[in-house]
Amino acid sequence: MSGWEQLQRILDCSINAVEVPTSDHPELAGLGPGTLIDHVDGYLQVIIQSDNRNIRVLQVHRDNLTETERQLISWSVARSSHITTKGVSKQDAKSEAERNARALGDWIVRQSASGLTESIPDEIALDGRLYAEMIPFLLETEQATEAAAFGELQKLLVSFLDEEVIVIPLKGQEWLVLAPVSLVRDTLEERDEQADALEESLESIGSGLYEMLASEWIGECHLAVGRPMKPVKSVVMSVIQLQETIELGRVFQVGSNIHVPWNMHLERLLASIPEQVRLRYVEQALGRSDVFMETETMSTLDTFFALDCNVSETAKKLYIHRNTLLYRLDKLKQETGLDVRVFRDAVLMKIILLLYKVTKRA
Amino acid sequence: MAGVRLEHVFKKYPGTDIASVKDINLDIKDKEFLVLVGPSGCGKSTTLRMIAGLEEISEGKLFIGDRLVNDVAPKDRDIAMVFQSYALYPHMNVYQNMAFGLKLRKFKKADIDKRVREAAKILDIEHLLDRKPKALSGGQRQRVALGRAIVREPQVFLMDEPLSNLDAKLRGQMRAEISKLAKRLETTVIYVTHDQVEAMTMGDRIVVMKDGIIQQAASPEELYNHPVNIFVAGFIGAPSMNFISGTLSEQGGELRFKTTGVDVVVPEGKAKTLRDKGYVGKEVIIGVRPEDLHEEPVFLEASSNTIVNAHVDVAENLGHEMLLYLNGIGTDAVTARVDGRSTLREGTNVKLAIDMNKVHVFDKATEQNVFEH
Repeated sequence: MSGWEQLQRILDCSINAVEVPTSDHPELAGLGPGTLIDHVDGYLQVIIQSDNRNIRVLQVHRDNLTETERQLISWSVARSSHITTKGVSKQDAKSEAERNARALGDWIVRQSASGLTESIPDEIALDGRLYAEMIPFLLETEQATEAAAFGELQKLLVSFLDEEVIVIPLKGQEWLVLAPVSLVRDTLEERDEQADALEESLESIGSGLYEMLASEWIGECHLAVGRPMKPVKSVVMSVIQLQETIELGRVFQVGSNIHVPWNMHLERLLASIPEQVRLRYVEQALGRSDVFMETETMSTLDTFFALDCNVSETAKKLYIHRNTLLYRLDKLKQETGLDVRVFRDAVLMKIILLLYKVTKRA
Repeated sequence: MAGVRLEHVFKKYPGTDIASVKDINLDIKDKEFLVLVGPSGCGKSTTLRMIAGLEEISEGKLFIGDRLVNDVAPKDRDIAMVFQSYALYPHMNVYQNMAFGLKLRKFKKADIDKRVREAAKILDIEHLLDRKPKALSGGQRQRVALGRAIVREPQVFLMDEPLSNLDAKLRGQMRAEISKLAKRLETTVIYVTHDQVEAMTMGDRIVVMKDGIIQQAASPEELYNHPVNIFVAGFIGAPSMNFISGTLSEQGGELRFKTTGVDVVVPEGKAKTLRDKGYVGKEVIIGVRPEDLHEEPVFLEASSNTIVNAHVDVAENLGHEMLLYLNGIGTDAVTARVDGRSTLREGTNVKLAIDMNKVHVFDKATEQNVFEH
């Protein structure tokens, strides 16, 4: 068990280890393990190890550390570094990390299958690394991953996010990735003023991560992002929510690979209605169920609703003339009796459209 | 740099009976700028995504250079992609966004720096290298996405509607810049667009697709002047080609095309082919480009046997040209493009001559161009 992972638990704050090229920080070269440096941004840096090429630094994100706490941090990092260097080989440490992550993944899968949402037992809590708030990402790949995928993915994510991340393999082609909240730190500081900023920021990180994984690792995949949570208490709940989000996303957001739970409220509600009831409702509401058979009608309505029923924007997005769109909407009104430019009818049509999608693919 | 070859490629999604992409055969040459164009759902993006490795190929073979890459992961195909919904990495600045792919491939720091700065210079974003994506405009983000692809110096660039999120002015500007860039980098580009203006102005060769099938693959000039069927003829050109349905009949040794408001002589060269192929007495569709309807007195005088009378419903003066929306020529509305200095006005009757040497004749049943088959 690494000294700094215990520290995170004891201090109840975010701690991450980063590696920087020595050439970028010559002022840190030659400093011994445990050396403390106060960073200008307010966090404490502790040297873990340094050589000619790289410097490993621990970043402790907590204000008002007492002098005793600072000394204890310094001592424990120096000691942990000493034990790691003398004792466990790097290769063994890696495989142990994977074994631990797989054990935790198996536990999460078992818990979610049996509907239990208990806290993670201490013995598989990855040495206390799951106590701080983290951002959960659930990744589902389309293609099977190879045996070496764990190390490969972890390395890729650390390189991409420049932060310590926890990768937990779940079932088959499903991975849980836990990243530190510091990724959206700027947004969190502004949270009081901008309630939506955090969600926007998470979606934006999710999009970047998807693009990177698709082009640099696995190709086609689906990614769900959740709000920050404390894994030790909430990881199972979070995984269940993100699995459901991807499942709903695959049905309701065809063509999109990033899915977020906060955009799925209506979809979740409608997916829970029994199929017979859904079918009956669609037929009763429309008088027929073949209105959406034409993909053109479906894509027109999807775009129209996504753009808040704005006719000009929808026409622009669909590359059609405004009058062509109006003609399509008038035709739909004739066929269904619903004018989607009227709020009440738009709500009804949106619900029918979602019900149709879930029924068609169920 | 390398060419790309698709041999009998199909894409079928699980749970569906119909293939989204059917029997695609394409040989894209090294350094060629190839544009895939067609309406929504025609299979152009799916084809590109199969080349990228983001979609599995259901059937057929895909080669990049001489290497069969059906089972090669996207990252190992030596391609770079710029998509419509490109997402920059929000936590990295512009420099890091462009450098990341190279960092992963373990390039030396000095090499990364050189490539990033060179690409930034080409794209005129050197002054933005320290900025995060959220502090950039749409056009600047687009350049960074391009920059991220350029620094990789890949064998093939794949672009899927990369300009569709930009406003009209910026689109025009970026269109020219991408063309220039492709020439400068001397690389193979496969570019997907719904916009035929982009296709015509950027592509060395254009592939027109519909319902997952290649309709025609040819140079812009060839597509415009020799479309193989009604779909290609109508898709390429703005305003679109006019289609007039009518009958071919012999009269006084001349072959004439007749329909409501139209009785014109088919020139001898074309008439011979039509006679040889047995179209006399049959219904056909003729295709007339808007610029092949003339109102100039000189042309009218020289083409007395192809004159039609029409009523101007709407006249749109665009300054350098005027578009006339007419009725009276066949049963549907017809568009003519005339000189911007024309004195014709809405609500008037007009005499026009069809340049019959340039019309296309399509088989009514197969919709194929009679002269191209």
